[in-house]
Amino acid sequence: MTTAPLAELVGRVTKVAEEHVRRTDDEATFPVEALDELRATGLLGLLVPAEDGGLGGSLADVLEASTELGRVDMSLAMIFAMHCQQVAAVLAHAEGKLRAELVPEIAAGRLYLGSVTTEAGKGGHLLTAESAAAWQNGELLVDRFAPIVTGGKQADGFLITMRSPDSEADNQVSLVYASREQVEIEPAGGWNPLGMRASDSGAMKLRGRLPAHQVVGRHGDFHTIVTTVFGPLAHLGWASCWLGTAAGALSRVIASVRGSRGKTDLNSELLLTRLSRSRQRLDTVHALIGHARQVVETTADLSVPKVQLLINAVKITAAEECYRAVDELVDAIGMRHGYLRDSPTRLEQSLRDLRSAVLNYSNDRLHLADGRLTLLDQEVRFA
Amino acid sequence: MDPRMAELLTPYLKFLNGRELGPDDSLRERGLDSMQSINVLFEIEDVFGVSLPDEDITDATFATGGTLWTAVQAQLEREGVSS
Repeated sequence: MTTAPLAELVGRVTKVAEEHVRRTDDEATFPVEALDELRATGLLGLLVPAEDGGLGGSLADVLEASTELGRVDMSLAMIFAMHCQQVAAVLAHAEGKLRAELVPEIAAGRLYLGSVTTEAGKGGHLLTAESAAAWQNGELLVDRFAPIVTGGKQADGFLITMRSPDSEADNQVSLVYASREQVEIEPAGGWNPLGMRASDSGAMKLRGRLPAHQVVGRHGDFHTIVTTVFGPLAHLGWASCWLGTAAGALSRVIASVRGSRGKTDLNSELLLTRLSRSRQRLDTVHALIGHARQVVETTADLSVPKVQLLINAVKITAAEECYRAVDELVDAIGMRHGYLRDSPTRLEQSLRDLRSAVLNYSNDRLHLADGRLTLLDQEVRFA
Repeated sequence: MDPRMAELLTPYLKFLNGRELGPDDSLRERGLDSMQSINVLFEIEDVFGVSLPDEDITDATFATGGTLWTAVQAQLEREGVSS
């Protein structure tokens, strides 16, 4: 980090987020003020190397920032983490002209990248695509419906998965970049969910023509981007957001309980046990994220089953444990402080938001992949 | 690449479209799903009598019929099994 320390920059964003979190949750609207602060602080370009005008942050910095944002607003944290995942794909796989066009814009905070990888009919399965990109007069035609596009209305550009042009197999997927001006965007449904309301992840249709050079990596080779960038950054990034949300909830509960001493029995064994279990779950998730990050940073080939299993375990475990930790806190402090919408502990929102964690690239689907990976790893060595 | 390797892989390659599998053809592009890898390993065990070590189970090993055959050959040599 070359400018102000990361904590200070993130602190500027969480301050803005605090002011708006109630409203954006109530209204299910995107946290535009906090996004503006992410732009202004340079945090949208956190991963961009300093020599390219970015903050030169590491994977650890992204995870730390995601956790800190998650303490205040899980929607905002996920928006940030997923943008960083897109940026990492651009940095690792975009070349030549495309790279030269995108990287300075990202570094300057002018390019918030949305992700279009979901497709009707395939659930969250990343590695196949049904809509094919076609060539026409040397341009790529894009005509794509996506059921879930986080921040689609605010994104300045999109990374879109399409079946590779000229491909025969549905697992030959390409990742293409489209700027907002290059595509017609048609919203295709509202966004009124249980939690994660400020992520504004409604469905949309995208149509347009793109210059041939706007493919990230090789055509048909999205698989490599998933193994090397999308998988690790998504799972570790999301887990960090969820950890932050649960940590923020626990922190507010502790403040509430300590503030009401005299009225609350701080020697209650039930209360103490529940606080302990909640904390224990968060320490487990924290340790797992830290270990997996180290493995990702130091392993040349991430396609080995034991590494894939670890990365998936981070997602599955964080999704379950962070939710449970907050659910137990509701029991710990009861109806008034734990359940009412206007309680300063905001457990109600944290619980609603964290309920999406198991669904966000479904744990069920991931367990199926993990079952097969487990069969492949006969000796059961750990990464 | 041993002809038995091509024969063993062919049923998993739905986009081979009647062509013969070459040693450098991408298995992924011919339709091999990473989720089918376990079935391919079982077939290798049945046909060649060896089981690939865990550290060989990578995208690089499964890239082409040729790379997979190289890994099988190395294991055959390690185990002293004649192919």
